[in-house]
Amino acid sequence: MEEMIPLFEDEYAGQPAPKRVLAYMQKKQENDQPIVGTYCAYAPIEIMQAMGLTPAILCAFAKATIASAETVLPANLCPLIKSSYGFIQEGSCPFFSMAGAVVAETTCDGKKKMFELAAEVKPLHVMDLPQLPDEVEAKENWTRMIRKLQGFLEETFNRTATDLQIEESIKKSNKRNQLMRKIFDYAAIHPPVINWQEMFDISFMALPYDVDDAVPVLEGIIERLERRVAEGVHYGSQNSPRVLVTGSPVGGDALKIYKIIEQCGGVVVTPDCCTGLKLFAKDFEEDMADPAEALAKRYLQIPCSCMTPNEGRLEALSEMIEHFKPDAVIDFVLTACHSYNVESYKVGQYISEKHDMPFLKIETDYSDNDEGQIRTKVQALFEIID
Amino acid sequence: MGQHFAGIDIGSRTIELVIVDKAGTIIENFQRDTGYNPMSEVDSLLSQVSYDAIMATGYGRNLFELSIEARTVTEIKAHARGAMATFPGVRTVLDIGGQDSKVISLSETGRVSRFEMNDRCAAGTGKFLEIMAKSLGYRIEDFGNEALAAKKDITISSMCTVFAESEVTSLIGRGEDCREIALGLHDSVVRRVSGMIRRVSATDAGELVFTGGVARNPCIRMLLERTLDREIQVAEDPQLIGAYGAALLALESALQ
Repeated sequence: MEEMIPLFEDEYAGQPAPKRVLAYMQKKQENDQPIVGTYCAYAPIEIMQAMGLTPAILCAFAKATIASAETVLPANLCPLIKSSYGFIQEGSCPFFSMAGAVVAETTCDGKKKMFELAAEVKPLHVMDLPQLPDEVEAKENWTRMIRKLQGFLEETFNRTATDLQIEESIKKSNKRNQLMRKIFDYAAIHPPVINWQEMFDISFMALPYDVDDAVPVLEGIIERLERRVAEGVHYGSQNSPRVLVTGSPVGGDALKIYKIIEQCGGVVVTPDCCTGLKLFAKDFEEDMADPAEALAKRYLQIPCSCMTPNEGRLEALSEMIEHFKPDAVIDFVLTACHSYNVESYKVGQYISEKHDMPFLKIETDYSDNDEGQIRTKVQALFEIID
Repeated sequence: MGQHFAGIDIGSRTIELVIVDKAGTIIENFQRDTGYNPMSEVDSLLSQVSYDAIMATGYGRNLFELSIEARTVTEIKAHARGAMATFPGVRTVLDIGGQDSKVISLSETGRVSRFEMNDRCAAGTGKFLEIMAKSLGYRIEDFGNEALAAKKDITISSMCTVFAESEVTSLIGRGEDCREIALGLHDSVVRRVSGMIRRVSATDAGELVFTGGVARNPCIRMLLERTLDREIQVAEDPQLIGAYGAALLALESALQ
């Protein structure tokens, strides 16, 4: 195979994605653009960006901080929550250290209670997330919560955002989302022209960046992807099993799932999780009378398992299957992530009945002691496809 | 094309080697403990036989692939193939080995359509039974028959090995009969695997074949049949099924 053109043309190419983003955040902070920490896809970053604040995704994906977290938190809690809290305790997350405040949402019980502990360390604002998104009150309530967040940020950072500025932010996010979808489309090509690591690195960068800064980078990436297409380079082969990975957020030590898929000869064509396609999949409605309502409407469409019912996830899966043409679906469930774990049954039924496609649920945490078993399961899944 | 095809199943507890001829008939088979140096056991086993092609399976298959030029296949496909060759009507395979338990659902043509395998913990596997037998002072070979001699059921609620050991200790201390405790332990394994079977094979269509070392335990077999209200097929040497399946796959890939 020909040499792959690196997609980033900067000094961080080939390095872990957080390095690039950290350097960017530091520059922003120096330029009087304070940092706001976020944990979850539901954090409406457009509000932050509208008032010149920089959102930073806080550390949550390393097994290294779990032991210290377990001195306070129960061991049988989701690794993502334990890892997040361990970083706070150890003071080892640079993004958290830089953040002037943290925005949190009531997505799950474990996080909700962990936020109470984190609030003792940093100003922390919790948004009450409606979990029945189809109810008429949901949009109204979430709009109100977004406005309340605006009030909190205005007070904490002594800044303001007009509706016009929020609208501008929305339009920019739409522009970014369109470019991101265009980039993910290179994974729909058979065989894919982009791999999981690149999609992960790009998503990690694109979300917290000012869209004005992100757009030229994304456009450069598309240009280089086009060059790959022209040169006929790609990942895997015509026969490599194409995998859609759905479920809990994936990052850091949890990336083992993508690595194992690749080692077993597969290619990840859709990372359908909060650190993947999910956030860029849909646009905001533009020029609505109330831009906060446009935000509420879009954010409530995120098909997270904390929502009930979560039919949107099944619809989204069908659309992705249609578009990315995977050969199998792997549902990645973090241990003790009850909502994704319970929902896995429904997802499995749907994938086998509606799409007649091999389905595999993998329940794991950040440790590497089950890599052998996961490898056997993935290999057996690929044997089914053969 | 050659005359002899080997399948080797490098499990966590034992290694099985099966040689088939080009008609797929078993002509030789061997078994030994995996021990602490599986590769030297494998080498000494292989030095006793000759074959034209070999396929490896089991948790040690990747180790094998590194040292000897051989193709590998997962335990799931190997057990499915071996069970299909032994019982052509099979639609569900239950394999309980030393560290892993698996339920495999097969299509009419014998292809794997779904499977489930335990996550990291060896609860409900051969290892669990082995440790429990020891804590009651039984040899593993006798454990099932002793349990079958029990007069009443005792419910053991712990599935975790160390928790179950504590539970056993307290039952012994209460003066409960060892055979009845043994029955309770067998029942706890059966409750766990029957849940897996119900999840993976929704229909009662076709035969249910029980493979792996634990299939030799008569009490597990009896309790499974009672719990599932379904007949279970067990091969004469159920622990050889994985290696047999691998040998057949070695033969078939040579035919291609």
